[in-house]
Amino acid sequence: MFQVISDSGCDFTKDEAKDISIVPFYISFDQKNHLKEGIDISLEDYFQRLVSEKNVFPKTAQPSPQDYIDAFKPHLEAGRDIISVTISSKFSGSYNSATLAADMLKEEYPNRIIKILDSLNGSVGQGLVLREIIKMQNAGYNLQKTVKLAEEIIKTTRLYFTVDNLEYLKRGGRIGPTTALVGGLLGLRPILQVENGQVSQLDNVRGKKNALKLIQEAMVNALQDEPQNVNISIGHILSEQEAVDFKTKTEAALGIKIANPITEVGAAIGSHAGPGALAFAYCKKYNAIEGDAAA
Amino acid sequence: MINTWYIIAQILGVITIGFEFASYQIKDKTKYFLITGIGSFFWMLMFFAIGVSTGMGTQLSLIVAAIYSTIRNIVFWRIFSKNTPESKEAGLNFLLAMIVIAIVAGVFTVLNAPEQVRWLHILGLVVALGFVIGQYLPGVHYVRIAVVFYAIVVMLTQTPINILYGDFRWNIMGILIETAKIASVVIFYVRYSSQPKQAQLVFAKP
Repeated sequence: MFQVISDSGCDFTKDEAKDISIVPFYISFDQKNHLKEGIDISLEDYFQRLVSEKNVFPKTAQPSPQDYIDAFKPHLEAGRDIISVTISSKFSGSYNSATLAADMLKEEYPNRIIKILDSLNGSVGQGLVLREIIKMQNAGYNLQKTVKLAEEIIKTTRLYFTVDNLEYLKRGGRIGPTTALVGGLLGLRPILQVENGQVSQLDNVRGKKNALKLIQEAMVNALQDEPQNVNISIGHILSEQEAVDFKTKTEAALGIKIANPITEVGAAIGSHAGPGALAFAYCKKYNAIEGDAAA
Repeated sequence: MINTWYIIAQILGVITIGFEFASYQIKDKTKYFLITGIGSFFWMLMFFAIGVSTGMGTQLSLIVAAIYSTIRNIVFWRIFSKNTPESKEAGLNFLLAMIVIAIVAGVFTVLNAPEQVRWLHILGLVVALGFVIGQYLPGVHYVRIAVVFYAIVVMLTQTPINILYGDFRWNIMGILIETAKIASVVIFYVRYSSQPKQAQLVFAKP
């Protein structure tokens, strides 16, 4: 028996989060008061404040080792092992905090296993890894088998996103002020990807509509060989209708139903992407990976 | 009478044609900027030679434009080959400074151009700026559309509309260079339309 835990970088909906334990990131608008994401401040409030207060530069901070200890301990006490999934270690120190916490608890609970998995992803990409782990847990898989398959799922997980406004990439230091100014004047929309745990720019196109059209075509091309074997997730920041439209069109093009709910992208990724951003992720389902291994 | 500088200009023009024609067949932006940058260098030398041969006054704005093109193309080539946020920022800052200098220099040369051809040089300044933006924009289309307009205006500057002095009022090589650019764009689109449609964006398979 094991418990699934994740940092809030997974961007689960409130309903989904009921099945697992979430360790929240911190958000600070003034570098003094640190608010727990989703607890002390809702995502809607966070992004509305980001939009309305132009001179506010919020920072996000990873959960501390103590936060992870507090999350792990009750389950260890109850005799449950733990699989904890974190946002990419190249984005944040969450993986390090979780690993430190696990090391610190080793002596106290020598018979329990705590496995920390670096998702090498974030947002809806990390969420997909987590969903597959939960499915395996529900199917009765033990911790070792689940971890082994989850490590393979991580390798198949892809995350792409586009933004509505270059301002937030500039604020986060991902692009310079001139690039933001010129790109903004020319209506450029970068298409970004998470590759080997890091964000990089895949392409640059004019207009959001064009960006979404190209993303959809690329996604359908990548998945059309075996759409039934992939799990897809879509996230947005204050752009629900565009996410719904994208989902409907993708379902029609691939002839499948996307089971995962459309989620709101959280602060960890969202503060760099800003309102209007859309994120798309896919991964291989655990049973497809098992099937590949058997073949 | 044909003088040595005029002949040198024609040789430089042939070299320019080769590079310019090749550059508009290339889809990859990094390679495009390198090849067109080398072409711009020879283009600049050709205008200089024409200027020595037929009078520098009417060629000055073209020499300025060609120097600017050469530097801009090489800077773009470096930006796209490095492809880091830092290189893009540094390159763009440099280019914006270059655009300001080019506008100032362009206005200066327009004012100094003979009155009867001033309109042509103003038009040249406008299409040159449009071409720079077209080069920076993503994809294969904007730059090719922009270069056609740019080539037409530059072509006009190589005719008696602009070359006002002496016996040589046509720079045939200058016209051929611009024709080569337009022809290269046409051939690119003929090839493009006959090829199976390739996705602009490719995502990794899971």
